[in-house]
Amino acid sequence: MATLTRPGAPSGPQLRRRTHPVRVDIARALPLTPAVVLLLVFLAGPILWCVYAAFTNTALTGAGSGDTQFVGLDNFRAAFGSEAFGNSVVLTLVFTILSAVVGQNVLGLALALLQKRAAKVVRTLVGITVIGAWVIPEVVAGYLWYAFLAKDGTLNEVIGVLGLGQNWLYTLPIIAVSLANVWRGTAFSMLVYNAALSEIPAEIEEAAEMDGATGWARLRHVTIPMIKRTVTTNLMLITLQTLSVFGLIYTMTKGGPGTKSQTLPLYMYEQAFSFSQIGYGTAIALVLLAVGGVFSIVYMRLLRED
Amino acid sequence: MTTETSTTPTATPLAVTSHRPVGPRTWVATAVVNVVTAVLGVMFLVPLLWVVFAAFDARAGLKLEWPGTGFSFDNFRAVLTPETTYRPMWNGLVLCVGSTFIAIVVATLAAYPLSRFETRYKRPFLLTILFSTGLPITAIMVPVYGLFVQLNLVDTIGGTVAFMATTALPMSIFLCKNFMDGVPLTLEEAAWTDGASSMQTLRHIVLPLMWPGLSVVTIFTFIGMWGNFFIPFVLLLSPDRLPASVSIFTFFGQYGSVQWGQLAAYSVLYTLPVVVLYVLLSRRLGGAFNFGGALKG
Amino acid sequence: MRRRSFLTYAGLGAGTVLGTAACGGGSQGGDDSSGAIKVAYQQWGSGTVMKDYLTTVKSAYEKANSGKTVELVPIVASENDYYTKLQLMMRSPRTSPDVVYEDTFLINSDITAGYLQPLDSWLGQWDEWDQFQDVAKGAAKAADGKTYGVPDGTDTRALWFNKDLLTKAGLAADWAPTSWDDILAACREIKGKVPGVTPINVFAGKAAGEAASMQGFEMLFYGTGSTLYDPGQDKWNVGSPEFVDSLRFIKTIFDEKLAPDPSVALDAQVGTRVQEEFLPGGTLAIDLDGSWVSSTWLDTGGAPWPQWNDVMGQAPMPTKDGSGDGKISMSGGWTWAMTKNASNADDAWKVISTLTSFDNNLRYNINSAAVAVRKDVAADPTYTGSNPTLEFFSSLVPVTQYRPQNTDYPRVSNEIQVAMEAVVTGQASPDEAAKAYDEAVKGIVGEDKTATL
Repeated sequence: MATLTRPGAPSGPQLRRRTHPVRVDIARALPLTPAVVLLLVFLAGPILWCVYAAFTNTALTGAGSGDTQFVGLDNFRAAFGSEAFGNSVVLTLVFTILSAVVGQNVLGLALALLQKRAAKVVRTLVGITVIGAWVIPEVVAGYLWYAFLAKDGTLNEVIGVLGLGQNWLYTLPIIAVSLANVWRGTAFSMLVYNAALSEIPAEIEEAAEMDGATGWARLRHVTIPMIKRTVTTNLMLITLQTLSVFGLIYTMTKGGPGTKSQTLPLYMYEQAFSFSQIGYGTAIALVLLAVGGVFSIVYMRLLRED
Repeated sequence: MTTETSTTPTATPLAVTSHRPVGPRTWVATAVVNVVTAVLGVMFLVPLLWVVFAAFDARAGLKLEWPGTGFSFDNFRAVLTPETTYRPMWNGLVLCVGSTFIAIVVATLAAYPLSRFETRYKRPFLLTILFSTGLPITAIMVPVYGLFVQLNLVDTIGGTVAFMATTALPMSIFLCKNFMDGVPLTLEEAAWTDGASSMQTLRHIVLPLMWPGLSVVTIFTFIGMWGNFFIPFVLLLSPDRLPASVSIFTFFGQYGSVQWGQLAAYSVLYTLPVVVLYVLLSRRLGGAFNFGGALKG
Repeated sequence: MRRRSFLTYAGLGAGTVLGTAACGGGSQGGDDSSGAIKVAYQQWGSGTVMKDYLTTVKSAYEKANSGKTVELVPIVASENDYYTKLQLMMRSPRTSPDVVYEDTFLINSDITAGYLQPLDSWLGQWDEWDQFQDVAKGAAKAADGKTYGVPDGTDTRALWFNKDLLTKAGLAADWAPTSWDDILAACREIKGKVPGVTPINVFAGKAAGEAASMQGFEMLFYGTGSTLYDPGQDKWNVGSPEFVDSLRFIKTIFDEKLAPDPSVALDAQVGTRVQEEFLPGGTLAIDLDGSWVSSTWLDTGGAPWPQWNDVMGQAPMPTKDGSGDGKISMSGGWTWAMTKNASNADDAWKVISTLTSFDNNLRYNINSAAVAVRKDVAADPTYTGSNPTLEFFSSLVPVTQYRPQNTDYPRVSNEIQVAMEAVVTGQASPDEAAKAYDEAVKGIVGEDKTATL
């Protein structure tokens, strides 16, 4: 059974250590062709244009539209010099770490583990509910969380006995939108972990159980190591998704009050589409990309450490 | 080309349901598990209640209220028209099913060499597509529109499908590769020595073993597209080609007033295709439930 | 066998893409030879007023000009997204519409961008142009002195008030304040005598967006006799004491709790709540708002309220101390404009003139409860009788002001909202907030384009 578990091990053919000619490389890479073609045609060009646009004053309308000028690093200088931008970066990090890295990831894993042992009816209903939260249109999710957290909303009625009633979107906006995003996005992590857990051979779990390992120990020493690669992949994907969440926050708070929940995507949208500053907006998008890159590199490092 | 499933770690719920040891301690543990899961479920359910109540309440507002005397199907009657629901839903299905299908096929093909072979180019390639996942699509829609004008693809379903599929590719390639990595190599190596091509092994050995993962990728991709407003909005011009994610804005009035009840009813309908998809695919998701218990690996 | 299966797989992806792309139906580029005039407009929510009006105009035009056709291009979206898409379409001759519906708030940017063409050569020969009120004619006039759009209606802003609540507080049912102090005095009366009621709502802060700048701040600021921008000198007003005065008024109503709690006022849904919840619910006495508010309460609106006209009264917004005309209003509105890439300019003009002709404009103004910009429409009994508030709101047209017709205005407007919000939350005093605004404006337009006016 040893071959079954290769966390982090290099994959198969390498085991044979055959140096193969270039021809073989090409033949093996052939299945990549459709993906590469699509990515090149539809994404590479536009992304390169964005990189170029970030160094110009291009705009959808107004002066920068009729007469585009190369402005060098001006957009980035303006961004790094503006308070609003710094505020957005911080909020984006808070939002991403709270709602994705901690919230969705932990809750998703917990749900997957629980579902594995829960009765079928519970499993089914909870699964559908969690998925339901995910598939409801984003704009509707925003409204229902707005209603849920409002001063006379459901949440305050539930905890009213504690005397904690307040307008959460006003007092703790970034926490409120993070909570809504956990609710909305946990389904994905749950599904990913469901699939990963189902790939763990039952024999291994049973063996651990026979050895008398308790739940926690089993989780720490058997389950988590087995799905480590999935944890990293999942973290990476939900981080990148969360970094660009827009509609949910926009509906709930429009980035407010003030700019207390204006994450980078909202800031970008405001600059690029409310003020038509496409050049500045794409510069912000590149910063967002860099933030995602930093996260990815950290996760990659974590994965390689074993 | 059937493989002997008995030796393979398939996603059978047997693995799940075989946890039925007896004894008081486990009985308590199971009860605790069920209660905790149910409590988490209720936490997810409470915010959703508004949609359900408001959908049947002719006078719905933003507050959670039991429909009571206002209970009616008026909202559904109002939204179930070709203009508001049927055509946009159909358009959405055409777009999303088409692009999901393309994305899954292309991603699976791409994931195979990425998961099975080592080359110098693999890591940079993976890193590149991973970075591109982080790019907010809204930011690139301006050049994409320009590109579509050049290629004469504006307002074509085909072009929009191709682009939507492409935006989903980085994520789906990554996920596919991850789930493929979980499929052991031993079987394939045996098949290779028998002279099977990599495509044959992919089809007959790898895919059957990664159905749970592939289901996740499918659902994820579909939902991502189903909820996407901006791409079809920018790339399609004719109103009769626009999908459901765009027509949802029919319920928002000029000065901020919203038809809450109709919006809620529409949302219920809007989520149905995805719920159906989930139910269809959930038999493949080992950790989730399955209908009837009968299940092929 | 091996080879074929491989090719099948590899080709499947690419083939599907190319196949679907190839048979995706014809694109509707502007290079079509049908000669149809494409009219792009924003499809608001569930309202069909615009759609019905355009459909009628389309058939009238096609009947009058045999062989010519009009193609309607509705864009279903919020205003930001509508503009994004419109601008993208106008960028390319292939996808550009011929006639577009432009908000006076943003039309200048599109003129500067070179998306539109001037209409002066046709307007000079159009006998109906005289029927348009002068102030409205200026709404689509660019810095080059040319006119780029024909207005189809406008809106004005004033004080809406709940007569029942005002009489409870001992004020007249036909209340008409003559200065800011009058308003504050009334609010204090209400606060003292009608507990549980918010005396006044003035939109303030980023969540309310342009409503805060226009219905809120500018209704105060332009009532001081000052202006944000002088087109003659091409300079923005900074260091203005009137700017501080206006912020001080905002500070007063929030500090004395005459306005809604900041958590309500700075909330993303404040506009909806004022119209659908506070006013019909009798929890708000006075609302500084637009002429369109009653459309929410009609049977066709989002929150029908049959008694609205018995309960709600209107009063003009007074200038700061009653000087000048004694009252002030701000106006926006939309215009029909022609794109640079119009396939047939003369036909496009014919469509625009049909769209804004007396009959069509009359019907549109009645159905959309807009304030008329044509003198003959404004005087028409069917128009004045169609909504009980139209006459009042039309009477404000002579004193109304338009926002700065300048490309930088949307960003300056955002800074106004920031300044208001800082004052509402107590983060800054009116003086500090005004200073921060001055700096921000200098950053946006350049110091050389600012002066104290």
